[in-house]
Amino acid sequence: MSTTVDLPVSGPAVVPARRTGFWRNLWKVLKRKPSRMVGAAIVAVFVLTGIVGPWLYPDNLPRDSDQILAGPSASHLLGTDFEGTDVLALLITGTRYVLVAAAFAALITVLIGTAFGLYAGYRRGAPDSVLMRITDFVLTIPGFPLLLVLSTVWKFSSALQMGLVLGLTGWGGLARSVRSATLSLRERGFVEAARGLGMPTRHIVTRELLPNIAPYVAMNLLIGVTTFIYSQVGLFYLGVLPFTSNNWGVMIQLAVTNGVTQTGAGLGYLMAPLVSILLLTLGVVLLVDALDEVFNPRLRED
Amino acid sequence: MLAFLRRLAGHLVRGVVMIWVVTTFTFVLVRLMPGDPVQTQYEKLLAQGVSAEQARAQVQVTYGFVPHGSWISQYGDYLWKLLHFDLGKSVSAQGVSVTTEVLGAAKWTIGLVLAGTLLSFVIGVVLGVIAAMKREGHVGSILSLIGSLLHGIPQYVMALVLVTFLTVKLKLFSTGPVNGLIDPGFNGPYLASIISHAVLPAAAFALSSFGGYLLTMKSSVVSVLGDDFILASELRGIKPSIIFRYVARNALLPLFTVLALSLGFMIGGAVFIEHAFNYPGMGAMLIDSIGNRDYSEMSGAFLLITGAVILANIAADLLYSAIDPRVRHGGAT
Repeated sequence: MSTTVDLPVSGPAVVPARRTGFWRNLWKVLKRKPSRMVGAAIVAVFVLTGIVGPWLYPDNLPRDSDQILAGPSASHLLGTDFEGTDVLALLITGTRYVLVAAAFAALITVLIGTAFGLYAGYRRGAPDSVLMRITDFVLTIPGFPLLLVLSTVWKFSSALQMGLVLGLTGWGGLARSVRSATLSLRERGFVEAARGLGMPTRHIVTRELLPNIAPYVAMNLLIGVTTFIYSQVGLFYLGVLPFTSNNWGVMIQLAVTNGVTQTGAGLGYLMAPLVSILLLTLGVVLLVDALDEVFNPRLRED
Repeated sequence: MLAFLRRLAGHLVRGVVMIWVVTTFTFVLVRLMPGDPVQTQYEKLLAQGVSAEQARAQVQVTYGFVPHGSWISQYGDYLWKLLHFDLGKSVSAQGVSVTTEVLGAAKWTIGLVLAGTLLSFVIGVVLGVIAAMKREGHVGSILSLIGSLLHGIPQYVMALVLVTFLTVKLKLFSTGPVNGLIDPGFNGPYLASIISHAVLPAAAFALSSFGGYLLTMKSSVVSVLGDDFILASELRGIKPSIIFRYVARNALLPLFTVLALSLGFMIGGAVFIEHAFNYPGMGAMLIDSIGNRDYSEMSGAFLLITGAVILANIAADLLYSAIDPRVRHGGAT
């Protein structure tokens, strides 16, 4: 299933004139539907948790050995794990890893995907077909099994390495969409005008093409972040990577290996990361809906 | 016809090249393993008092190449065996060839993927049409939201939630291997056992993937509804049921490509569901082989999964050109 946003092939690609314009539009669009506000709020809460979360708790979380796999209570809002650690604390301290890895992966995807897509779409000809062959290849190899196989050689368990490997295997879809957007943009009047005026290629690519492609890249990025989160959590859940730090995937894996799915004890331990993933997905879906309207003024209802 | 054959030949060549790249990749990967598993097995056999000659023969049987000699000759051996569908021997299940093991697992995965995909396709298409017809009201927007959400939920979340609530809390279904005490074959108890094991994985599959079909179908129906010929047939007073048939036929086109593509990807993507439900398919095999450091089995499973995706891609493209004349005549690429 593709994870890219469909690009409108033609249509007015309006460049936000100033940064303030973008933020003001975003605010206007968010206010129009309460669901979008909820989405933005969810994403904001997770990002904030990712930033400050680990500072709220000591490095070694306290263990309450009387309360093993306990249910929710006043002292442990989401229950405890198999060692008596508070699940909420685990969830909050584990958020940073998940978000850092996903954000780094997204950054790499954007760099490679945009560069390949722009170059292939603008130059066409031989560079285009070579780059698109490579892209096809990256798209065809099933990504998650590839990560599993790679994990045997490279224990990418630190957040940055995780992001690197996710990004390196996940840029194919973005490169394709950027290329097709570039192909249609380069025939448009303003690009032709710039070419006719003898502007250097560097100017055309960075000043004429890039600002028009940026909105699509941004939206793909946001959706990409969620898929990167699934993949990394999935890798830890399957237990193919060493646990060097606490994160959501490790929580799921340890909950399953400690029999939560068999006995049902300590359900909070298993459900907390799962529900967090669902919430974050919901937030992103709602926020993308808002961004879609900011970038495609034709969708606006007024 | 000629164009079709040319297209097919091009696809096949590209597919073969891709499979070659993948095999080369796994070959190099196994050689790069920390504590080279090939060398390790060889030395272990030597330590057990096996003669160097025999140890080498044993290792060759397992991995398809000898530990000594240059990488080039090892690589040649490996590819030669591969051409004969010899993927080596499994390390964990002693003496069983990887080809047999992988094909045995493939049978289970294909059954699961077919059942799950058909189920999600039907649900997705029906709900997608409804969402498109009622797109102005609440029903439409709720269906779209459900679609985007379910499309976004990773399969392991769905699988774990279902496992926990249905097998543990409610004890409705059984997980674990199909009961070995029942005679395998085409008889009632055995089939019943298979079905009771496969229902939940297939349901998890369908639940986590129908969202994608729903969204695609919805946008496809909406775009067809905006076409001039629909307006024209409405103006000419053609019955709504017949208009619906026009719409359905045109709107389904893009869905078939998605269907063929996802069949391939699901074979690789069933990893989580198979793992969560303890289902003996290829994805579970891939994970187990990594856990057991059984690298010949791992290479075999990965190769088959990739092969399935490549085949599905080819099938999707050919299918699309067969059902949509515009593609066949070189309109769009």
